[in-house]
Amino acid sequence: MRAPVAIIGSELTRRVSRLGALARFFFDALRSFGTLPRAGRRVAWHVLLNQIWFTALQAIPLIIVLSGLLSFLVISQAVRELGRFGATEIIGTLMVVAIVRELGPLLTALVVAGRSGTAIAAELATNRVGGEVDALEGMGIDPLHYLVLPRLGAAVVSVFCLIVLFDGVAIAAGLVAATANGMSPDRYFDIVLRSLAFGDAGVSIGKGLVFGAIIGTLPSFHGLRVRRAPTEVPIAAGRAVVGSIVAIFLCSALFVAAL
Amino acid sequence: MTMPGALLAFEAVQLARGAVCDLSVPPHHAVAVSGPEDSGVGSLARVALGLERPPNGRALIMNTEIARLPRAAALAFRRRVGYLPAGDGLLQNLSLQDNIALPLRFGTELDDDAIEGRIRIILTMMHLTDVSALRPAHVNEEQRRRAALARAVVFDPELVLMEQPFDGLTDRAAAELLEVARGGVTAGGSRRTVFITGQDLPHLLRARVDSRYRVVGSTFLREA
Repeated sequence: MRAPVAIIGSELTRRVSRLGALARFFFDALRSFGTLPRAGRRVAWHVLLNQIWFTALQAIPLIIVLSGLLSFLVISQAVRELGRFGATEIIGTLMVVAIVRELGPLLTALVVAGRSGTAIAAELATNRVGGEVDALEGMGIDPLHYLVLPRLGAAVVSVFCLIVLFDGVAIAAGLVAATANGMSPDRYFDIVLRSLAFGDAGVSIGKGLVFGAIIGTLPSFHGLRVRRAPTEVPIAAGRAVVGSIVAIFLCSALFVAAL
Repeated sequence: MTMPGALLAFEAVQLARGAVCDLSVPPHHAVAVSGPEDSGVGSLARVALGLERPPNGRALIMNTEIARLPRAAALAFRRRVGYLPAGDGLLQNLSLQDNIALPLRFGTELDDDAIEGRIRIILTMMHLTDVSALRPAHVNEEQRRRAALARAVVFDPELVLMEQPFDGLTDRAAAELLEVARGGVTAGGSRRTVFITGQDLPHLLRARVDSRYRVVGSTFLREA
């Protein structure tokens, strides 16, 4: 009887300890901003811009397609079905609550975690295995300054901007869908804008920052935790993506519970 | 006992198989330590830089034990020392030129023009001008080693630590790299202090270093 309890206990301890290490890694990364040498800021800025190029700019077409299709399908169906009962007013709530506040941030974060989270974890794990991280330390360059901080910053900025893009495209695609189903643009905007509160934008922004921090931190953490074997690289990438997705869903649920 | 004025000193540093490393590297000297892969010789440069802690003993660079410094101070101190890690350690997503420029861009206040000027000179010196825009994966091993050494000496450090720098190179290329690490053909008093670790030192270079040490079993010997 003791053995299963011991196994569960040791597994739980291991997971809690990993969570503690992750939290420490995140705060160390944030704190490292204060110790970034003046000359190093330009280098870190360059890495950050490079990461934004990969994380945000290259993901724009995918976000536009996803957001446009999702919004078009949902609003088309809603206008058609709700129109039968004269309840088209509800599409405003549907657009704001379902798409802008919930699905927009969630889908955007999942796309970025899948595209860039994997890339960040695999890149940093390869850096570790190839001795590049040790070489940086040996040259007096903190890997947190050069590798982690710019990626964390870029992930936060990218997720935030992509969520704004997702919401904008969703509202525009909703307009197309509503118009195609016989609703006038004025009425569509009237319904949507009446449902959209300042708080909804705040929630969306808050989620952008939190999800961005998750995507910047978890893959970096798993990437830098590998030891020596190249076989650890795909494992780290897999853990990073799965961990990020779970954390994003958990935080999304916490946002719903808290607001 | 550390020799006064030594730039680098290992005080009773215990290596993997029980050998005890006790040596001082005076300024402007080139010192080589060799030994089998499992002897722990390969970790001496890392111990000196405070990246690894030995079971016993301590290492001092310019009379400072880096391992005991706070992290920010240790990083700042390491930026004063040239380091060529085993396997080159070049960043794969940067060109050779950007790899070489990294310590200057990160650790000095030089402007872009000054950095470009220095990079051009060192690329020419290391015969890397034609491949400077390529990434490490697209050049051969010797060119990677040349780029890694260029990165280690580009900011003209007083002391250069080199891990297995000559593995896989011809004697001629190895001799050339050692000359660059030492600062070229200049008066003895202005040459850089160089500390080399590896499994063996190429024959041609044995006469070109000032002292040689070797780990044999659990004994740390000074070679004649």
